[in-house]
Amino acid sequence: MLSFEQAPPVSASFRFFLTAPWFGVAAGLLLAWDGPQALQSRWSPSALALTHLLTAGFMLQAMCGALLQFIPVATGANVWRPLLIANLVHPALLAGTLLLAISLASTRTELLPASELLLGAGLAIFCAACGLALLRTAATGISLSALRTALAALALTGVLGLLLAEAVSGRLALALETLTDLHAGWGLAGWALVLLAGVSFTVVPMFQMTPPYPSWLPRRLPGTLALALGAASVGGYAPGASWLWRPAIALAAASATVFALFTLQLQRRRRRPRTDATFAFFRGAMILLIAAALACLASTWGLDFAQAPGLPVLIGVLALVGVFVSAINGMLYKIVPFIATLQLPHGVGSSLPPPSIKMFIPERSMAMQMRLHFAALAMLLACLAVPQLARAAGAAFAVSCAWLAMNLLRGLGVYVRLRDQIRSDAAARGSSPAGPAR
Amino acid sequence: MTIVIDGRELEPPEPLHRVLAALDALAAGDEIRVLLYCHPVPLISVLRNNGFAWQEALLEDGTHELRIRRALA
Repeated sequence: MLSFEQAPPVSASFRFFLTAPWFGVAAGLLLAWDGPQALQSRWSPSALALTHLLTAGFMLQAMCGALLQFIPVATGANVWRPLLIANLVHPALLAGTLLLAISLASTRTELLPASELLLGAGLAIFCAACGLALLRTAATGISLSALRTALAALALTGVLGLLLAEAVSGRLALALETLTDLHAGWGLAGWALVLLAGVSFTVVPMFQMTPPYPSWLPRRLPGTLALALGAASVGGYAPGASWLWRPAIALAAASATVFALFTLQLQRRRRRPRTDATFAFFRGAMILLIAAALACLASTWGLDFAQAPGLPVLIGVLALVGVFVSAINGMLYKIVPFIATLQLPHGVGSSLPPPSIKMFIPERSMAMQMRLHFAALAMLLACLAVPQLARAAGAAFAVSCAWLAMNLLRGLGVYVRLRDQIRSDAAARGSSPAGPAR
Repeated sequence: MTIVIDGRELEPPEPLHRVLAALDALAAGDEIRVLLYCHPVPLISVLRNNGFAWQEALLEDGTHELRIRRALA
């Protein structure tokens, strides 16, 4: 039987997907342990550790795993030896992020060099492997431009992060605040948001049965966000160009809002009226993206951080937990069953029905975890007004992420059971199992 | 004979599996007509790598239509 053999083995991506939620659990437990002081300032040791557990931990793990599968499936490009890349990148990012979070939480800068080495090596290998695949492909999918831009932004975010680590350790004399804003800007708006948009251009119409995005949006959005971040970088450092900072942030916020509004509008026009967990996660993420963009605008055009010290924390909670953890959580509930189904071609004569995406994770369990996630988010936002809620909010977020991990593990368990059944049916018939089930 | 596979209301990758099963049984001279709401990149790769000929069209309602035959030797 024919099969889609271009997708990398399941284990190349699943190791990233199954690791990501545990960084969310760690972040929730850290907040529950540290309590209200963790969210008092963006510069508190716990806030820095929480930020990196979510960005370099939860988000980066999930996004790297998704890219390894998404590049061949959506663009037709081939990543060179994806299993080897996963074997090298996954442990490097895992250990590097843990060391970074421990170093930041405990203010022990002597741990930073090892973290820099591991994260730098992991990111360099990943960016090189995926970058080569995306540059060499002759394909012209709607997501291609966004994927290329996002990967370049990830590389730049990594370089800025290494410079920050050197500056924090006292080995480089650099202005920490501007460098931190640029590191966060390229990481969140350049890498994470452009990647989210690029993946959405393909998967929102596909999984949520919506009409396609207008063709100009995939063409213009990645370049506009890159232009805004480039202008902000020049505004942050070039003498006499500081006026660029505000319009650059406004352009980035407007671009993010346009993407969110189009996604919400497409969701309203979906062909299938059913609302599942992924749909609700995405709708929540897009509404919160607009809120985060407005908060960014307020921080550059109205209130400044000195007048409103809670504003950077609000932006962080909205963007990290509200937008990206929500969107990734919803995406994982489609991607994991999709990959599992793709790798399970139905063998002729098998006792099993054709594999379906609905067989892997119970809908009710995904919906209940989604409600807990948004409840935890509401508690995190409420912490800004009632700091005493911090421990409960951290615990709720940790439980939500652990539940996500359990749901994904359940999906993997179903995949293994079906794969073994197909193999055993094939053995009983005296033939080899059909397709790539690896 | 034309076999019609309407994957527009099915969740991916179910349409792909149905087309792959139909390709296995496709006789010379027969045709598979596939209707989808998205451009099926994985399916195109399979067709290209396994000696099938196909024509694509974008219909007015946004449906992607593929007509697949076995390539002439």
